[in-house]
Amino acid sequence: MSLTAVAAPMRLDAQPGEVIERGRPLSFRWNGAPRVGFAGDTIASALAASGVRVFSRSFKYHRPRGLLSASYHDPGCMLQVDDEPNVRGAHRRLRDGMDVASQNTWPSLRFDVRAANQLVGRFIGAGFYYKTFMKPQVLLPAYQSVLKRFSAGGRTSPDDPRDYYDKRYAHPDVVVAGAGPAGITAALAAAESGAQVLLVEEEHDLGGHLRWGGTEDLARLHQLRDLIAAQPAIEVMTNSVVVGRYDGNWLAIVQRELPHACERLVKARAKVLVVAAGLIERPYVFQGNDVPGVMLSTAVRRLINLHAVRPGHRAVVLSANPEGDAAAEDLARIGVEVRRVLDVRRGEDLVAARGGGGVRSVQCHDGARIDCDLVVTAAGWTAPTSLLNMAGDKPVYVAEAARFLPSRLPDDVLPTGGIAGTGDTDALIAHARATGAEAARRAAGRGEAVRIPALPAGRHPEHFIGRTHGMVDFSEDVSSKDLLSAAREGYDSVELVKRYTTVTMGPVQGKLETVNAVAVLSRATGRTIGETGTTVWRPPYAPVTLGALAGRILEPVRYSPMQRWHEAHGATPLVAGAWIRPDRYGDPAQEVRNVRERVGIIDVTPLGKLDLRGPDVPRLLNLLYVNKWSKLDVGRVRYGVMCAEDGVVLDDGVTGRLGEDRYLMSTTSSGAATVWEWVEGWLQTERPDWQVHVIPMTTGYASMNVAGPRSRELLQRVTEGVDLDPEAFPYMHVREGRVAGVDDCFMWRIGFTGELSYEIHAPAMYGLHVWETLLDVGDDLGIKPFGVEAQRIMRLEKGHAIVGQDTDGLTQAFGAGIDWAIKLDKDDFAGKPELVWQRDRDDYFVLVGLQPEDGSVVPPEASQIVEGRNVIVGRVTSSRMSPTLGRSICLGFVAPHLRAAGTRVTVQLPDGRRITARVTEQHAHVDPEGVRMRG
Amino acid sequence: MGVGGAHDGSRNGHRPTARYSAFALFTRGLRKSPWPRAWRAHDLRPSYDVVIVGGGVHGLATAYYLAANHGITDVAVLDKGYIGSGGSGRNTAIVRSNYLTPEGVRFYDRSVKLYERLSADLNFNVMFSQRGHLTLAHNDSSLRTMRWRAEVNKLEGVDSEVISPEDIKRLVPYMDTSASARYPILGALHHPPGGTIRHDAVVWGYARGADAHGVHIHQGTEVTGIQVARDRVTAVRTTRGDIATPVVVNCTAGWSTLISDMVGVRTPVATFPLQAAVTEPVKPFLDTVVVSGSLHVYVSQTDRGELVFGASVDPFTSYSMRGSLEFIEELAGHVLALMPSLSKVRLLRQWAGLCDMTPDYSPIMGPTPVEGFYLDVGWGTYGFKAGPVSGESMAELIATTKTPEIIATFDLARFADGRLVGEKGAASVGH
Amino acid sequence: MILLPCPWCGPRNVSEFRYVGEPRRRPDVATTTPQQWRAYLYNHTNAAGWVREQWFHRTGCRQYFGAERHTITDEVRRTWRPEQAPAGAEPLLGVTDRAATTEAGPDAGGDVL
Repeated sequence: MSLTAVAAPMRLDAQPGEVIERGRPLSFRWNGAPRVGFAGDTIASALAASGVRVFSRSFKYHRPRGLLSASYHDPGCMLQVDDEPNVRGAHRRLRDGMDVASQNTWPSLRFDVRAANQLVGRFIGAGFYYKTFMKPQVLLPAYQSVLKRFSAGGRTSPDDPRDYYDKRYAHPDVVVAGAGPAGITAALAAAESGAQVLLVEEEHDLGGHLRWGGTEDLARLHQLRDLIAAQPAIEVMTNSVVVGRYDGNWLAIVQRELPHACERLVKARAKVLVVAAGLIERPYVFQGNDVPGVMLSTAVRRLINLHAVRPGHRAVVLSANPEGDAAAEDLARIGVEVRRVLDVRRGEDLVAARGGGGVRSVQCHDGARIDCDLVVTAAGWTAPTSLLNMAGDKPVYVAEAARFLPSRLPDDVLPTGGIAGTGDTDALIAHARATGAEAARRAAGRGEAVRIPALPAGRHPEHFIGRTHGMVDFSEDVSSKDLLSAAREGYDSVELVKRYTTVTMGPVQGKLETVNAVAVLSRATGRTIGETGTTVWRPPYAPVTLGALAGRILEPVRYSPMQRWHEAHGATPLVAGAWIRPDRYGDPAQEVRNVRERVGIIDVTPLGKLDLRGPDVPRLLNLLYVNKWSKLDVGRVRYGVMCAEDGVVLDDGVTGRLGEDRYLMSTTSSGAATVWEWVEGWLQTERPDWQVHVIPMTTGYASMNVAGPRSRELLQRVTEGVDLDPEAFPYMHVREGRVAGVDDCFMWRIGFTGELSYEIHAPAMYGLHVWETLLDVGDDLGIKPFGVEAQRIMRLEKGHAIVGQDTDGLTQAFGAGIDWAIKLDKDDFAGKPELVWQRDRDDYFVLVGLQPEDGSVVPPEASQIVEGRNVIVGRVTSSRMSPTLGRSICLGFVAPHLRAAGTRVTVQLPDGRRITARVTEQHAHVDPEGVRMRG
Repeated sequence: MGVGGAHDGSRNGHRPTARYSAFALFTRGLRKSPWPRAWRAHDLRPSYDVVIVGGGVHGLATAYYLAANHGITDVAVLDKGYIGSGGSGRNTAIVRSNYLTPEGVRFYDRSVKLYERLSADLNFNVMFSQRGHLTLAHNDSSLRTMRWRAEVNKLEGVDSEVISPEDIKRLVPYMDTSASARYPILGALHHPPGGTIRHDAVVWGYARGADAHGVHIHQGTEVTGIQVARDRVTAVRTTRGDIATPVVVNCTAGWSTLISDMVGVRTPVATFPLQAAVTEPVKPFLDTVVVSGSLHVYVSQTDRGELVFGASVDPFTSYSMRGSLEFIEELAGHVLALMPSLSKVRLLRQWAGLCDMTPDYSPIMGPTPVEGFYLDVGWGTYGFKAGPVSGESMAELIATTKTPEIIATFDLARFADGRLVGEKGAASVGH
Repeated sequence: MILLPCPWCGPRNVSEFRYVGEPRRRPDVATTTPQQWRAYLYNHTNAAGWVREQWFHRTGCRQYFGAERHTITDEVRRTWRPEQAPAGAEPLLGVTDRAATTEAGPDAGGDVL
């Protein structure tokens, strides 16, 4: 006996349609032991050829399970392959060196301790846990850790790398889902009518059931494959699935096992979708229907004809249709002893299958007991209508055909093939051709409609459940008995029974179990299958990896032209939205001191900037800001606060007038996008007659702030065309000129740091040059860069509130302590009515300056201000140690009765201590008159 | 003057329910005797003292507490589908009380306390697993909000604290807490009493409990109109007949404005779909609920090993529950940003429910200008966790006609008065 | 992925747009009462059926426009520029919704309070 025969005792001689390549043997490991197979084998077919019958243990009862459908959704065949969990072993092709292991078995597949569950099965039916494990409550975590051990899933590890996945867009005229003979025919017809076609097939090869058919089928198969190959307008994707049909025929297609990536998500906007998904064979419900060795007729035909594997030695076949008969013929052909064929159409039936680790005998309807090691059922077909459901169809049950059929679809979805009905080959071909041609016509949007001949529903015995209770959902271990009990307890609609028993909620996603579950439920409730209906089919039709859905890691980063300089000079990066900014270069306190004593420079490029032009800009500013803007001379700058229509502070910034009709508005960096849309919203919808043109310039200018007593001296060295004399260029003014040799720069004197400072905006492409020049030229003046943290300290010393930090989503303007800016005598501005009413109330929290009595304590931001045991009367919004004052300083909200300067408030620190703080006269802690910045 | 008047025990009698317990499982298993129905089906009566529209957790809890706490049992709960078919059956089952405002914290904490005893109270295992809840902060602003929530929680006696990336990594080894992440984690709000629950079981438990007290649960019964005479409710029209009643409670979500419109009560509610998804089971590795506000994603793992995901509401209003591809794409991207080693785990199913969003991310509870018409709506993305406290409060309101203190700030009038509740920071993507 | 027909750019994926909301007439600021103003701020019709609403083509032409959409099927049967509103339609109003400040993603610098 040859070595191969020993290693693969169930392997047959060459079969006409086999896909295995006997010249390419492969080795792999199965639960640690070496095995062999061939290229073209699936993991399951290689194992079956080597004599393996038990592949896994079921979820709850840990019953041994073998092959059932030998296809992607075989519930007994989910395996761990290397570091990948839940691999569909009956679909995944074998690769050399694979390390394959069974899941959900302990300690081993052969002897599983948890199989003891089977003995207590009658006590732990579906939903048993709702009736117990309630007391004592304290033991619930222990119960749960027990339940967790029964998880049937595969293994992951925190060290698994994130693999590469990519995505693709496609815009075909027609997508055909399913490349059995009908799908192929429809695709060819569509292409011949001028459509660009995408043909998607779940299996590794085209052809559907022709692949495991007889000689005629194989001949047709080759012919169809040749036609496809010769048609350039058809793109073929195999081992790919249309997993979702979303609004507007937006299709999600998953391509599996590409050479360079695990999976790829293809997003296709198809003009027309042709669904040729065929039919899925359904298990029969009877006692022992999940014992290894009991399988569907398609499983048998695949194993024999595709993989040259003998499924067993002595078989009993239950057949309700021609496919079952053909399976019996295939078995006989390869020398399996077919001991009996039970023909449902003649009233014969299978009552039970018996055996532990594998089937040993069956009992027939007439009492006969037959020894066998293989039971084949061909009880009927389920239409996988998932994509049709997603398109809005509610399929209708036709009792004579024992199946559901499509009923009402949108114009851009057409079914064909087995899913649409039955008929002889000619009828199906004619239907497919017409469907393909009509799909192409609809995609083109013109031409005369092609008439699609109706397909009859056909006839098939209704043979869902047998005379004994058996498994309905193999992956969830839900039996017909469970479903009956659930229905009796009141979980008697299809959704309730699903949720109570978890039937159809497993990895097989209902494909094998939905109709049988509905049949059981209908029997339990006395309603028909049609009346009972099915659960809603939800995307994805087949499972998709998170990696494929996520695709490549594409996370844009925004950074200023000077960012690389910051990195090179040791800046700690700060993630601010999508921006990366320099938080500090060293010690922020030192940076602050350098600004206050000498001169510093900070990159503020993310600051929002809007170029506003036109004669109506002042009206716009008056409308959007709470203060007045009619009289802003050229060259002047004003600070403004914007509110939304509910009076809540939206944003703040300065706006400068650069020319007669030219203004530049600045916003906070986090508010830049919002304010731009806000401005556009008013102009386009409320004031379309105003002449204002808006250009976003946030990234058009590189912005930097030069601050400190020596800032003027520095700028005098590098500026041309601007008189920097304090009388010529006072505080809150703006000038344009040449800086560091760069034209079209503008700078304004504003005061967020509290020092003499100039905020320079240079055309972005010269930003780095201007920055480096300033640092170079200012070296002897002691210039140093400072980061966002130092700026935060200085603005807090200055008492400048940050919108979104020192205000929140409910802070209306009077609460933010900017009463001086709010001009209620203006006719109109955004939010005015709410502010008018707010002014007359005194029930809102107010933003005040705070100084802890113990200046060495810096209360963490968001510390609460309390009265009594736990009444909250405010909170700290900003808090820092001030290097300038050598003590802690804060801003915070307090209840109105605490707002008076000098009031002592109690701050609850997160560590539990309570400290006292004093409300200050104004928000500014340093130089409240602003002498330094106005110099 | 409350509802119910003289309690007529013979009309809607308390029926002994078969008690659930391990012992009962054993004896019934031995005897092979079936369990009785958890809740009965009834004919629709021509009148009820109270009609509750909506058979989700809010409606059923209200009915249960009306009966159990106040002896009011002549109650009908109507649902156009099966019980729990709306938000109660579609949420991702997270329970927590780590809210931002003191009123919010008190409210949701009461719910957590009720959930802790619910299995025992209802004799139905709702599997409340207080495995802890983490809200990640990826920037300073978010960290401040976490600190704010922690402080308010602590002042209200609720266990929450801000923890460091190292602590997070100990709780969730699969989390990427490195500084090289695109949006590095700066810390998190850790809330040990939060966790997950079997949401359908809560619905079934309350249904069984209410039924045992004599409440009538009517599935497949759609309300088509509400009759009002001289500013009071007089009757409800349904697809199975009319019901005379002086009290109608709107406990619907998704379609609540359709019901409120029937009596002319305008509510500031906009309905947005909220999507969710679940994966195949993998061996359990995640013991805590993880939420990221900045990345708009939350993750938990069931005891069976499935990962349950959610995110924020869809960006536009809709009554569609079809789900979108862009949702699961974005979701997967954010999940893998948090836990990069999960790229091979497969998504099995996606679905959606409908969320009634209010301007301040807080519900609308209480009486309305139409006498006898009560609202328990506006539940946004945070309705399921409030089921027990809402039922308890609404029952008290209906029975006594006085609004309980605990829901006083959620009144409908607050919008006209400009008194919005400030829960936005805590509710969005908190679930 | 719904296709929204922008009046300027044609049918584009809905992910390119920002939903603005139901149009409401802005009350006269001089005479409005708190009830009227807050109705303008907060009330929704929230119909289950055909609604008129406004959108903003955020990653496209940056224009506000109106659309008629069925909120159950999400079918869009017409869109119009602000000046071409159909008879009886409220004027477009891009400013009442604070959606611009809601659900801030990473790009807006973090949580919005």
